[in-house]
Amino acid sequence: MFGYVFKRSLQSLVAVAGLLVLVFFLSRLTGDPAYLYLPLDSTEAQRQAFNELHGFDDPLYIQFGRYLADLLHFDFGTALSRNRPAMEVALEAFPETLKLAAIAMTLSLVLAIVVGALAATKPGGIFDRLATTISLAGASAPDFWVAIVAILFFSVSLGLLPTSGTGTPLHWIMPIGVLMLRPFGLLTQVVRGSMMGVLTSPYIKTAQAKGVRRTKIVFVHALRNALLPVITVAGDLAASLINGAVVVETIFGWPGIGKLMIDAIVRRDFALVQATVLITAIAIFFLNIVIDLVYAALDPRIRHQTA
Amino acid sequence: MRIKPVCLAGGMVLALAASLSAAGAEEITIVLPEQPANLEPCRSIRADIGRVINMNITETLTIIEPETAQVTPHLAESWEQVDDKTWRFKLREGVSFQDGAPFNAEAVVKSINRLMNPKLTCDSRSKFGDVTLTPKAVDEGTVEIVSDIPIPIMPTLMGTVQIVSPNMPFDQEVNKPVGTGPYELEAADNEHIVLVRRDDYWGEAPEVTKATYRWRSESAIRAAMVESGEADLTPAIAVQDATNPETDFAYLNSETTRMRIDAQIAPLDDIRVREALNLAIDWDGMGEALFGTDVLRASQMVVPGVLGHNPDIKPWPYDPERAKALIEEARADGVPVDTEITIIGRNGFFPNASESLEAMQALWQEIGLNVTIREMEAADWVRYLDKPFPEGRGPTLFQQQHDNNTGDAGFTVPVMYTSEGQYSTIADKDLDQVITKAMSSTGEEREKLFQEAFRVVHDEIIADVPMYHMIGYVRVGPRLDWTPDLKTNSEIRLAEIKFKQ
Repeated sequence: MFGYVFKRSLQSLVAVAGLLVLVFFLSRLTGDPAYLYLPLDSTEAQRQAFNELHGFDDPLYIQFGRYLADLLHFDFGTALSRNRPAMEVALEAFPETLKLAAIAMTLSLVLAIVVGALAATKPGGIFDRLATTISLAGASAPDFWVAIVAILFFSVSLGLLPTSGTGTPLHWIMPIGVLMLRPFGLLTQVVRGSMMGVLTSPYIKTAQAKGVRRTKIVFVHALRNALLPVITVAGDLAASLINGAVVVETIFGWPGIGKLMIDAIVRRDFALVQATVLITAIAIFFLNIVIDLVYAALDPRIRHQTA
Repeated sequence: MRIKPVCLAGGMVLALAASLSAAGAEEITIVLPEQPANLEPCRSIRADIGRVINMNITETLTIIEPETAQVTPHLAESWEQVDDKTWRFKLREGVSFQDGAPFNAEAVVKSINRLMNPKLTCDSRSKFGDVTLTPKAVDEGTVEIVSDIPIPIMPTLMGTVQIVSPNMPFDQEVNKPVGTGPYELEAADNEHIVLVRRDDYWGEAPEVTKATYRWRSESAIRAAMVESGEADLTPAIAVQDATNPETDFAYLNSETTRMRIDAQIAPLDDIRVREALNLAIDWDGMGEALFGTDVLRASQMVVPGVLGHNPDIKPWPYDPERAKALIEEARADGVPVDTEITIIGRNGFFPNASESLEAMQALWQEIGLNVTIREMEAADWVRYLDKPFPEGRGPTLFQQQHDNNTGDAGFTVPVMYTSEGQYSTIADKDLDQVITKAMSSTGEEREKLFQEAFRVVHDEIIADVPMYHMIGYVRVGPRLDWTPDLKTNSEIRLAEIKFKQ
């Protein structure tokens, strides 16, 4: 197991390095930052002075060399638009996204497993139809629209919840609710489908014949086998949440990394783009390792293969 | 057991009430469309920064009155032009910075030098072009500013130079502005910025004691925050969110839009085609449908109130029949009116910018022109904005939005309409002369000359298709007594905000 994690980490390191090179050059393909940093009526001399000051006039390979040299000192550059070290800005925002993603993902997973499993026990029944309708609607509803309607309803009309921002526990309700929609919808569908397959398999029939209690069959014997595809999908969904819940962050004014990354790209703040990509990439690689470990814990076949 | 949900609900309501009443009687919350990128005073002509710090934390020597374009004293009490290139400003006495440093000639000199410091990226420097300023302290209360070329509007320009404490780092951009203003920065993080009133301000004490700035990019949310009482004021909400006449106010935001005509390239080099372009658009219909009923039709690129605005110029009417006739006339004379003309737009430029391009394209096609639209990213769009324009581009109509909130047409006319102008597509020797003369004169003569330049551009050359003076909307909570003006986009003076009785 240890060797496996070590191997995966090494692979991840190579991938992160490749990603950094790619982001460095791709971001510089977007054009001259002087046009975005300086006002439109700046003179050519002012733009040149700006590029010289920040080294943007050097050939790309020299800029890249400088970037690598700085990286070795853990210097991730200055976020020009913010007058602050890029990594500091990124590290401030990332935990906010992580908290939001972790809570939303855990809640959706638990809810989806319960609802999906119950729906699968009686396909075509009333509960199943209801669960399917709601989960499909959740998975397909545009989150920006749901978010705005929720704010108008809960905050403006009813005055129950604050519109946006952070602070009290009440501030978490709508962002998490909106963020859960898609993962909950998709996962419910996956759990339901996977459970329906497992519940018809012979070992379940055996358990039934032996007189094992229904809830035990569903939530202990069947669920464990049905969870593998769920973990795969949940892993993907979690990665996309860590990547920045951009819509939710934007609408609810949540100071997370998704919005920060978009702003950095729009402002051509190269150092900040690189820092935010690096943080999320590392987080996603960690997440992947965790998912692999969960796989191994759930499925003895994988455990024995890697051992 | 039944008591539990009630307790929970009660707790929630209490918690909410506590969060809502966080703003006391004289404390306000302002919600902005974006987080200020930073708080560096030498970059504060950027709206995101200026809205927070200008005239609240840092102040200027002079003030440009938005409605009349008059330059009035502020930190400077008076000024005089010593010679062509030298201005002398007499400073107000008894003023101090928030950090206790005295406001004097040395501080002004240092502020100007800091603005011009090549080691800093100061947006506000762009107003001076490539001019070199040499400020000098004559005595404690007098500053002399020498420029390498004559600047007749130095007092106007000083309205954009934020005076900062001499203790601010000279070679480094910072996020802790220190000025002479009535408020000082208390806190700034990723979620809010807080300004508090200072006790030793030199002027009249403002009513607002504390202002908290938050930011939400979604206009509907900002409007909802004011409606629900979470915020007291938000600038720049979208026209579709400005639904409540009690709280929502329209104001001219000092932006003017136009389609610049590539007047050197056929068929746009023919004046009949250029006139037809102006006549073909249903200005009232398009304005009302896309930009709101309050939008103001433009005949020139500065708003009324700016020195040099010519009130006698009549905007072109909507006359598609005459437009068609002009195109046919040009065609008969051999003008290649069927050549493909490209509209250059910019993605997400301003609300309904793309829709306006589509509407104009359809109307121009109706009068017999062959028009296509190309929308670009900002950086690509800029290549067409500035000289040298891309080679082999063909005839283009270029959408532009221009902001002149400095109160002087000198920031608009030369760059747009002289032969050498950075954005100019026309070359007219006589017009050049008028503009050059205007730039070196002051007062009434300056106004007359710029008015003449605008008349020539509109009536004789037809250099562009002026669209509208754009409108912004603010939503103001019921507690506040405040109305927006031309400067609201670039600064919100907390001192002007009063409370209703």
